[in-house]
Amino acid sequence: MADGSQQSSAQAATAVQPTRAASEASGSSAAHSVDAVKIYGRGDTAVRALDNVNVSFDKGRFTAIMGPSGSGKSTLLHCVAGLDRLTSGQVYIGDAELGALTDRQLTLLRRQKVGFIFQSYNLVPTLSALDNIVLPLTIAGHKPDGPALDEVVRITGLGPRLRHRPSELSGGQQQRVAAARALVSRPDIIFADEPTGNLDSRSSAELLDFLRHAVSDLGQTLAMVTHDPLAAVRADRVVFLADGRVVDEMTSPTADTILGVMRHLGD
Amino acid sequence: MFKVSIRSLLSHKLRLLLTTLAIVIGVSSVAGTFIFIDTINSTFTRIFQAANAGVAVTVRGHELHGDSGGIGGRGRQAIPRSLVTTIKPVPGVRGIAGVLFRDGATMIGRDGKQIGGNGPPTFGGNWINDSEISPYHIRSGGPPTQATDVVVDAGTATSHNFSVGQQISIAFTVAPEQRFTISGIAGFGTSDNLAGATIALFREDTAERVLDGKNKYDEIDVSAQGGVSDIGLRDRIASTLPSYAEAATGQQAAQAAEQSTESTISTFIGTPLLVFAFIFLFVGSFLIVNTFNILVAQRTRELALLRAVGATRRQVLTSVLVEASLTGLVASLLGVLLGLVVASGLNSLIKAPPGTTLSLQPRSFIIGIVVGVVVTVLAATFPARRATRVAPVAALREALPETQALPRRRNVSGAAVFVLGCIATGVGLSGAAPATLQLLGAGVLGIFFGVALLAPLLVSPIAAVLGWPVRRFRGVSGLLARENARRNPRRTALTSAALMIGLALVTSVAVLTASFKASADAAIEGALRGDFIVFSQTGAEFSPAAAQILRRDTKVTNVTELRTSTILIGSASLGMVAIDPSALNTTLAFDMTSGDEGSIATRNTAIVDKAEASARGLAVGDMVTVGFPASPDVRMRIGGIYKQNAIAQGYIVSIATLAPNVSTTRDDVMLANAAPGVSLSDAESALKADLAAFPLVGAMNRAEYRTFVGSQIDDFLNLITGLLFLAVFIAVLGIVNTLALSVLERTREIGLIRALGMTRGQTRSMVRWESVLIALIGAVLGLAVGVGLGLALSNALHDLGIDHVAVPGGNLIFYAFVAGIFGVLAAIFPAIRASRLNVLNAIASE
Repeated sequence: MADGSQQSSAQAATAVQPTRAASEASGSSAAHSVDAVKIYGRGDTAVRALDNVNVSFDKGRFTAIMGPSGSGKSTLLHCVAGLDRLTSGQVYIGDAELGALTDRQLTLLRRQKVGFIFQSYNLVPTLSALDNIVLPLTIAGHKPDGPALDEVVRITGLGPRLRHRPSELSGGQQQRVAAARALVSRPDIIFADEPTGNLDSRSSAELLDFLRHAVSDLGQTLAMVTHDPLAAVRADRVVFLADGRVVDEMTSPTADTILGVMRHLGD
Repeated sequence: MFKVSIRSLLSHKLRLLLTTLAIVIGVSSVAGTFIFIDTINSTFTRIFQAANAGVAVTVRGHELHGDSGGIGGRGRQAIPRSLVTTIKPVPGVRGIAGVLFRDGATMIGRDGKQIGGNGPPTFGGNWINDSEISPYHIRSGGPPTQATDVVVDAGTATSHNFSVGQQISIAFTVAPEQRFTISGIAGFGTSDNLAGATIALFREDTAERVLDGKNKYDEIDVSAQGGVSDIGLRDRIASTLPSYAEAATGQQAAQAAEQSTESTISTFIGTPLLVFAFIFLFVGSFLIVNTFNILVAQRTRELALLRAVGATRRQVLTSVLVEASLTGLVASLLGVLLGLVVASGLNSLIKAPPGTTLSLQPRSFIIGIVVGVVVTVLAATFPARRATRVAPVAALREALPETQALPRRRNVSGAAVFVLGCIATGVGLSGAAPATLQLLGAGVLGIFFGVALLAPLLVSPIAAVLGWPVRRFRGVSGLLARENARRNPRRTALTSAALMIGLALVTSVAVLTASFKASADAAIEGALRGDFIVFSQTGAEFSPAAAQILRRDTKVTNVTELRTSTILIGSASLGMVAIDPSALNTTLAFDMTSGDEGSIATRNTAIVDKAEASARGLAVGDMVTVGFPASPDVRMRIGGIYKQNAIAQGYIVSIATLAPNVSTTRDDVMLANAAPGVSLSDAESALKADLAAFPLVGAMNRAEYRTFVGSQIDDFLNLITGLLFLAVFIAVLGIVNTLALSVLERTREIGLIRALGMTRGQTRSMVRWESVLIALIGAVLGLAVGVGLGLALSNALHDLGIDHVAVPGGNLIFYAFVAGIFGVLAAIFPAIRASRLNVLNAIASE
């Protein structure tokens, strides 16, 4: 209901912005945005959450999105993942422009091409861990295929706890189930929104190992919003957002370089 | 704390709407019933007062035994005309008029159809010339001056377009149909007619003939000279009367008639309606419990916060109960308003006389509101007590899903209540205890409560079984639907329990009527040997002239007349049936347990049914004293004991035994066979042609009669089922309510599965199938409890002739199917709501 009302094509952004990422579109990109603008509210209270963002997530790469609170990093993730609609501009997953899709087409696209990992695990409480993992396949009406599923299940390390309900698992275990669920349908891109936000440091490290493995060894594409430099450092590339704009980016980040940029943005 | 209650109420007003609706339905049926009863009573009071306005004293025969009363009072013995000459000279008498007024004169409308008859009586009477005494007031035309004149009541004249001068046919139960000219149109007192009953008035000699009133009056009315008191006149007249007659003042007679009418109305209309109102409220209370349970669960953090800032448990309890009583109050106010509509509906259903205004006694409103508020508050007490157990620390914790461990205590008490309910029902049905009906009611209530308490245990297994095909054929939606139905067994149980009650009642009535039908069919088959059965459609007795005509017809034989009389055995009013002994085993058969039915050929010998024999400890050879309405007691010998019979019940004697003890000779039923060598269809058309002069007397062959009895039982079933389906409807509101609140509660989860790629259609399907599962769980429980209750009832009513027990499988499958459909309908709005939830809301971080 709300997503429709926030869309207003009349407010097409005309401002010229540096378009570093836009030129890299298609081909090597799993998803990208072009002049993405998202405005919440109207009139005096309007907030420009995304202000002409051009960003691309390359295939087989692990991209972290960082920025202070309110920088628009979660909004960007939601819009690129097809959970929310832009006020103007375009986002693409593969060749599909999300703004042109109906709710049903968008749903089917999410089902086939997108995986999600959320901060608060978000498992279906009535289903067992295994049923949660295969849920995207069940929703699509597919039978989970043996070897691929076994592989995913194996790397979660859950083993005998697969038949348990989420409430009987620890936070770390629940998040590994969520990660396995994102991976099981081999989507074109996985979006992770603060996946380590609710985890202790050991569980965090385990989950990041798992994600890193998915990208390096299984060739997955991953976009992760985080405010934790120790998480971002595991990415191939970090994009920095502030006030709804891309303000910086780096490849092969280290904790120090990330902290340097962040400290600067925090000022 | 009061403010908190109000705020909470307002913020949840949409959620409380359905709860409110359930209370509104219950309260409106309570208030509507009371208003309706008051309205009819005041209508009759008005009619009787106006009709008796000019009557100082009325003289009548004694009340007949065994007549259960009805509109206008109990049936009475007629009195001889000669009494007029006895009363006339009594000092103080001014005018005097004999009145014939009895059921059995049915007007035929322009369309050739009988007017009335199935419901209100069709009265015939003599025109009364003394205008002071007469309740009839000419509106147009004039009194009947010719033998073929008739005055009809203004109500019938208006509704059937009769006018003065018009020709009209009138059918009688004791005389052949005849044509009359309408000489006038009259009102009854100040009304158009007697509360919907038709009235045809004839010249006195005509009335005497067509109403079987030779030398008889039903009452003699007297007006008083100026200055003479009614009571003094009554006493003077009474002292001149023979023992078979009694005198009352006009006011007394009117009051007695009113009282009898009121008790008839409250017995046959008021009490059953209040029972249904109670059922509606009972089912509605489940809805209230569930709503408040869910509201309390959703407000856990808020309540904990209140506790954390210093609210006592008592204050929390009070806040929930205040919220409940405000809800109950608002709903009850709406309910009593709707009660006015219900009462008008009932009025038009019974065709109340036009111009009837609703009688609004404060009592109707007070009872309605008190009942509504009390039920709501009582039902909310359980959730309110749970609210008090919320620990302050819960305010600080992440909202946890309700823990589902079911307390053992609850299961134990559920089982105990269930067993106690079964015992009470059993004892109530056995009739061993004094307060049979109350015990039965309490027992059934106990069974419902017990099953409702135990239902959480049953929900999961039943859902697993019923959910299997749903999971199999509806994929992920089916899987989630099944798991959602099982995730909160208590909530699902409470929701389906409401449906269980409605369906259990419908089912038990269906089982009972199916058993009754099967038994009646078998009983007719066993008892009715005649090819044809003849009786009056209005149930009135008819002239023996019909039998005489049939006896002259060579195509029919064994014409058997059944005559009935009310008799008094000890203080009990019972029925006696007289037949010609030659009918035995040619048209009518008795299944004897002892003695011989042929013994009735001996004068003053009776055979009696087994139930009566065992109730009085009668055996063959015993003597009983039989009291007759207007003749001395007779000692009779018991010649045999028979099993329940479909055609003749009670004490059976020969016509020769009955005849000297009764003043009228009229038939209730005739039986006949086709003559040897005559085909059934030839005989039937001959028979029907013979009876053409008696249009109120109808003939049926055996197959038709069985169908007729069956269809009457079906009509009863349909009426009860129709009313009970309102209870089912309330339960369906409960499903809507539960689903809507569940959807709200699962916002995050629904958003998640939508994010993972569930389409809106799949989401709707998930909610829909959860709803169907809840409904089917209710259906399974309801059918099980209902079949059990129905079988117990059927067995207990063995004495009433239910000796065959039948379970109407087709009906049960239909009920389950309907429950499933209701499940689909209940899910419509919650499903739409679920499918439109904003995906982002679900996953946005706190």
